Amino acid sequence: MIALLEQALNAAAAHGEFLAENGHFGAVASFTGVVRGEADYLYLDWYPGMTEASIQAIADAGVERFGLNAVTVLHRCGRVDAGEAIVFVAAASVHRRAALEAVDYLMDRLKSEAALWKREVADGVDRWVEPREDDALSLERWR
Amino acid sequence: MGEVRVEVLFFGRIADIAGARRMACEAETLLGLRDRVFPETPPGLRMSVNKVQVTGDVALNAGDEVAFFSVFSGG
Repeated sequence: MIALLEQALNAAAAHGEFLAENGHFGAVASFTGVVRGEADYLYLDWYPGMTEASIQAIADAGVERFGLNAVTVLHRCGRVDAGEAIVFVAAASVHRRAALEAVDYLMDRLKSEAALWKREVADGVDRWVEPREDDALSLERWR
Repeated sequence: MGEVRVEVLFFGRIADIAGARRMACEAETLLGLRDRVFPETPPGLRMSVNKVQVTGDVALNAGDEVAFFSVFSGG
């Protein structure tokens, strides 16, 4: 399941829920992204409808490619302060390799293909964050 | 078919360039709309019609929702 959250994302609770529901498959892997202290806060602009669809498409691709039994992507939008969770991804499968690789894959795709536009506010200065070259390169390994 | 009235949204750095978050506009095609909105096409401009990303030109229909945006920065 995927969700775009305007309010705080509780990654620990999300993990607990996912594990309770999907642990029985055998393997559960997850990733949590947290806003680093370099910025005061980030602002993720989003396009209601299109952003969710972009994330759903990525999640669906992950399920298909890795044969996952379950997947969840929870992504913040709007203002996210330093120290707050901005994204949570979890995958469940029968054996560990699929779940572990799927989480890596999903994060690489989210970083480039989720319809989000990031602004960073630090020391009162507001600037758009450009995509990182690293992120584009990360996508290449999944081709 | 002639020009039709569409809703235009802007996201990312493109919104700063356009100087607006949304506007109503009239045009016949997507690229015609783009040229009407931007005197010079901003580098890296992406477009969507009714929330589906489009490259190239398409005819517009009355009531379509067009968005102009920059490359996604990722979450």
